Amino acid sequence: MTSGEKRVEIEKELSFGPVHPALIEPYRIRLFVNDEIVEDCELNINMAYRGIEKLFDGLPVERALLIAERVCGICSHVHAWNSVRVIEGGLKIDVPPRANYIRVITQEMQRITSHLILFGHAFEVVGHETFAMRSFLLRESFMDLISYVGGNRVMPSVPIIGGIRPRADLTESLKRVILERIDEFEEKYKGYVARIIEDPLVMSRLTGIGFLTKEDAIKFHATGPTGRASGWDYDVRTKMDEYKPFDFNVITDESCDTKARIVVRALEIFESLKIIRQAVKNLPEGPVVNRSWRAEEMDFTTALLEAYRGELMHSYGLDSQGRIRNYKIRTPTPTNLAAMEHACIGDHVTEAILTIASCDPCLTCCTRAEIVDSGKSFVLSDLEIIRKYGWRK
Amino acid sequence: MNLKATSRKNAIHVMVAYTGGCNGCDIEIVNAVLSPRYDVEQYRVLLTWNPREADVLIVSGVVAWQMVEPLKKIYDSIPEPKGVVAVGACAVNGNVYKNLVGDIGQNEEIWAPVETVIPVDVKVPGCAPRPEDVIAGVVKALPKILEAP
Repeated sequence: MTSGEKRVEIEKELSFGPVHPALIEPYRIRLFVNDEIVEDCELNINMAYRGIEKLFDGLPVERALLIAERVCGICSHVHAWNSVRVIEGGLKIDVPPRANYIRVITQEMQRITSHLILFGHAFEVVGHETFAMRSFLLRESFMDLISYVGGNRVMPSVPIIGGIRPRADLTESLKRVILERIDEFEEKYKGYVARIIEDPLVMSRLTGIGFLTKEDAIKFHATGPTGRASGWDYDVRTKMDEYKPFDFNVITDESCDTKARIVVRALEIFESLKIIRQAVKNLPEGPVVNRSWRAEEMDFTTALLEAYRGELMHSYGLDSQGRIRNYKIRTPTPTNLAAMEHACIGDHVTEAILTIASCDPCLTCCTRAEIVDSGKSFVLSDLEIIRKYGWRK
Repeated sequence: MNLKATSRKNAIHVMVAYTGGCNGCDIEIVNAVLSPRYDVEQYRVLLTWNPREADVLIVSGVVAWQMVEPLKKIYDSIPEPKGVVAVGACAVNGNVYKNLVGDIGQNEEIWAPVETVIPVDVKVPGCAPRPEDVIAGVVKALPKILEAP
């Protein structure tokens, strides 16, 4: 599909999935192989369709948050935060600064855990168990901190409309614990990163494969660290009001290969630590939630947020009774898919899974229903599907 | 404990079948078995991706309709005696995806709970359950395997 104008003769097709030892999430990879060189790659993501956008339709907006958080288990806070940012933007609800700071703190903590999962996964694919285990061990300290703030390791449920849950307010002792833990973490993590970069075996496995040039990254809409590893300095955080008070850098890398995608994420963790430290030290006093709002009719509003894998979009409108209409979610992975497929082409077949893993796919939350008709594919909205087929029995 | 049970106890293989939830439980399960903090491998409980060598099947997630047939196939290819542990609120009762719906009644896009597809021995509730709970669930499924003839 992505190989361009010239048609290539294919010797063999390798097909993995949906449940395959090489893959944890249910998705299907088709590799078209010519003499062990990948000529084309196709990712089929449609294995976990839950109809989640349709579930929102007609719910009161407060209850929608419960479902929005459960779109994805790795980036749960992002979905919860962005779903409330839509209504806060649309109805002009003020959010207290203290609530914004705590949202940012939780966001950056979860960003670190998400990037560490990638290292665990990528190094397991490489075959280096020790690095994978060390990254899982490092991750535990931040899972603990998230559970101290929100009460659950995976679903902290911090944001509500107009602020944060009062339970998630940071006490003085918790602030001290966070600062101590991130100092401890940074020391261990520096050693870990130095160990990775100095390891000639791992580096020789990562360097020079999975090329994605800047032009291709922009052409195929690679977002987030995948795009930044190709030298494209696009970060939604630089445009957001919530991140205005904090000083951080956007990490980019010009080398465009699998190593760059790992290194960009490794360095982003230091920026996240910087943001957490600033936020905890300068945490303003005051209330954490603004309850003086009413759900009323709202136009179709869109909010963008930098999730851990790239740009995330949530948008919906409210009808006159404050119920949700036309919820749309676009997660970063569907926009990255074409870039992933393109990055695999031209490499040896053993590198394909590593290249896809280094782009950090999260395939549960990106599933769309799709009809493939005579080579052309187009995406149907949920409403069109129900109109055409009815609810599946 | 007879010889058979002793030898079985020394190599419990766990397989994770992920059927389309939100990834949270899946990572917690892999955490429970693999990660250095909740290391179950030290008690010789091993993670495998091959159903033919598995003893315990851990199922997480709502069962999306594309995953029904693969799940049945995986269950059939596990040799007897076998135990099934359903982990997470999605696998136990469908969680928000099944019940909390607005205009349109129950969501028929998903087949949760897992019980409707394959028999389940132990259920571990929670969204997402802690790794300790997952370990406790697997331990509860063990007597069925050890005491089988």
